[in-house]
Amino acid sequence: MKKMTANVKSLAASLQETAKGVWRNSLAEYLVNARSLSDVVVYMKYWALNYIVIAKFLIDCLTTRGPVGAVRILIQHPWLLTLLKVNALTRRFARGRKGRYHEATCMTMHTIVVGTVDTLRQMFFFPDRLVINEDLVPSDIVHAMGLKCYHLEAMGIIMPLIDPDVSPKYIDEAENEGMNPDACSLPKTTVGMVLKGHMPKGIAMVSSNLPCDAGAASYSFFQRVFDIPTYRLDVPHHFNNERAVALFAEDVKGMIAWLEKHTPGRMDWDRFREMCKNRNRLRELELELWDMLRAKPAPLASEAVWLSHLWHYNVTPEYEVSVKHFERLVKLARKNLEENLPATENERYRAVVWNPPFLHFPDIFNWAERTYGLTLLNDSMSYHHHGPIDISTPDAMLRGWSRIVMQGPMVRHTRGPAENYLDDIFRMYEQFNLDMVWIANHVGCKGGQAMNGILREKCREKGIPLLILDYDLNDPRIVSHDNMMRQVEHFMDNVMKAKRLDQ
Amino acid sequence: MAMLDTTMKIFAGLLESPQNSLVEQAAANGRIPIGYSCSFVPEALLMADRLFPVRLHAAGVAGTEMADNYLSSFICSYTRSLLEFAVDDRFNLIRGWVFVPSCAHMQRLFDNLEYLKKPAFSHVIDVPRKVNDATLAWQEEELRILAGRLSSHFGVDMGNASLMKAIGEWNHFSSVITAIGNLRKRPNPPITGADFHRVVMASLASPKDLILPAIESLYKEIEHQEGTGNYRARLMVVGGHLHDPEFIRVIESQGGLVVADRFCTGSIPGIRPVEVDGDPIRALAVHTFEKTRCPRMMEEFDLRLKTIFDTVREYHADGVVIEIIKFCDLWGVDAMPLVSALRKEGIPVLKLEREYRMGGEGQLRTRVQAFIESMGK
Repeated sequence: MKKMTANVKSLAASLQETAKGVWRNSLAEYLVNARSLSDVVVYMKYWALNYIVIAKFLIDCLTTRGPVGAVRILIQHPWLLTLLKVNALTRRFARGRKGRYHEATCMTMHTIVVGTVDTLRQMFFFPDRLVINEDLVPSDIVHAMGLKCYHLEAMGIIMPLIDPDVSPKYIDEAENEGMNPDACSLPKTTVGMVLKGHMPKGIAMVSSNLPCDAGAASYSFFQRVFDIPTYRLDVPHHFNNERAVALFAEDVKGMIAWLEKHTPGRMDWDRFREMCKNRNRLRELELELWDMLRAKPAPLASEAVWLSHLWHYNVTPEYEVSVKHFERLVKLARKNLEENLPATENERYRAVVWNPPFLHFPDIFNWAERTYGLTLLNDSMSYHHHGPIDISTPDAMLRGWSRIVMQGPMVRHTRGPAENYLDDIFRMYEQFNLDMVWIANHVGCKGGQAMNGILREKCREKGIPLLILDYDLNDPRIVSHDNMMRQVEHFMDNVMKAKRLDQ
Repeated sequence: MAMLDTTMKIFAGLLESPQNSLVEQAAANGRIPIGYSCSFVPEALLMADRLFPVRLHAAGVAGTEMADNYLSSFICSYTRSLLEFAVDDRFNLIRGWVFVPSCAHMQRLFDNLEYLKKPAFSHVIDVPRKVNDATLAWQEEELRILAGRLSSHFGVDMGNASLMKAIGEWNHFSSVITAIGNLRKRPNPPITGADFHRVVMASLASPKDLILPAIESLYKEIEHQEGTGNYRARLMVVGGHLHDPEFIRVIESQGGLVVADRFCTGSIPGIRPVEVDGDPIRALAVHTFEKTRCPRMMEEFDLRLKTIFDTVREYHADGVVIEIIKFCDLWGVDAMPLVSALRKEGIPVLKLEREYRMGGEGQLRTRVQAFIESMGK
């Protein structure tokens, strides 16, 4: 009897917690706590638009593949269901924000939903033209050749953003197959997805030596599983010189010739020129945005900056929608600047995050914003300083495109001498008038881990407050969300002597 | 056998410290030791004129407390051990360091060394990760740059004649080691895997000309000898850096005779001759790619696999032991398809994760014992 009572009590307690959790993440709670009616309208607009885009995709599945085919797609790719939770992620990002900052956050998420669904169409509706690209090999050349493309690691990045509990089962699958547990959890997630047969097979694959050893090495495995021809791009270690650019541009030329041999795609230089123009425009807009972010308080921040770059620069840089998105961001930021409206109401601290962002806990920035008035202005994945692409000749375009790939996210900071990693941090510190630097200390990232000692001493010399936040990129079991928040709290309490906004 | 023991003691003695007596002797005679830590460095290039290559190893490393502070504990213990020794002045005779950013660990070892104890001479060879005409030309240029820097910094002759002489010396060394290695193809090899590895490691860490007489005398000694045949299975060891012959001794103590070594500091295909047809630098560039079977080479999985298959057949190995230093992503990831491909071919495989320095002997014994039993031996 005693045992039964205890069980009932425990059930009641857990129900209470579950109910609290459900309420905390619910649409109703979000709307009740929205800052204004116009924020409710903006959120609901994007809420509806996101579901409309997803619904259209489902209808397309039904019409192009038939009911059985559509069900088969869902069964073979169960992670698709995670996408349905995308509005919950928008809420996590946008909670507590208002006005144009709130709108920019919702809009950023919406453009990613649009882009993801476009990728899904390419994945499932064009099997005879589908090329698999490694995540740091941009898709524009493949698209310029009239082919379809998806990035093999993309879903391993998107899914944990939406639902932190999606990756572990794939990570376990990879480890059970014999992959080293200490490897980066993104390649492990991707290997797990491929092992489970959850990723469609293309007709060819293009990988590279970027960004890290585990990522590059995993393609021997993928090639054996997919059994499709594979081309590997090789970026020199010292990439920041014309000799290296020449070698890599030749490599890219080789890739085009190889794709023409192994796929029905043919290079269309005029189409590629238009894509390069898009990239150039995107670059101009982003620089303009960054320039405005230097203002204190900043007119926009966080996901509108880092997530916009992560998606639009790496997945859809050649798309008009990406340019339009950045145009809108610039417009919103400018209006805020003109009206002297800060993105974060109580901007007290300005920070950048270095290394890959916290994929399974991306809303930690939102929490830090609401708790300490900490504003995230930029990140290492976004920060680049390449020039525009010269579009005068095919050769010039290839060299310009090559330079961008060679300076891609992570690549720029993990290759070449230590200065490539360090100098950008200190440059950003000055450029954005920062108060601190956050290092996303992913346990699987050996290149980053091995720089912490030097960085710590350099920051001490320069008087820069440094938070090295331990976490695992895709696996929330390694360092829990609670633990990550505690690390921030300890830093803010002990180093920054910061007061919480809620105290 | 007593004579063999005496000879082996020479090699064992040369592995007791990171800079052995032969290195000291050569350095005292005005020669220039150049340290390197990766198989992509062509040793023959560093044998020109007064230079000689020393494979960096951290014999007897007890802990890596200082290196852990900088490199973190999530980096391979080989690189941590090297940094620890470097900071501790254990490589004080080494006058120059040549690196290859073969992996993130090696790359950051260079960065941290530059920061903590900048060597008077250091150089990074930017070795491509795939082989074709363009990357061969690139590698050739990389070696020319290195040769030029060595020449201007140390005042050594890196001209063609000097390089051809160095290549000749390397090829002679290679022929003797290969001849000893070939003895292991016999049903009863006259040398154990641990002893052979002792010879190879000692010679990689010494000036070749000074150690060669001992290697030649060893060869003469065992050439016509037969081993006891006291083993249960013949094994091939595959993997990354393996410096301490004790690791192989423990495997052999369980009856698994190691007959073939395809790891970074092994002889297959690490100690192969340089084939020169014209320009020696070009020959060394080609040689760089041929003497390594590292998973960093993106397009060579099938070649790595074929090398293992061929070696297993040639040396009549019953099984393969893949040894990986913890946190090595290249071998850690590559081993996954490697293990399944070997098993598919019917070759028994044991994958062992280890630290750079010898440890966990009991566990190693148990795993090897179980492996040999699982092979029905």
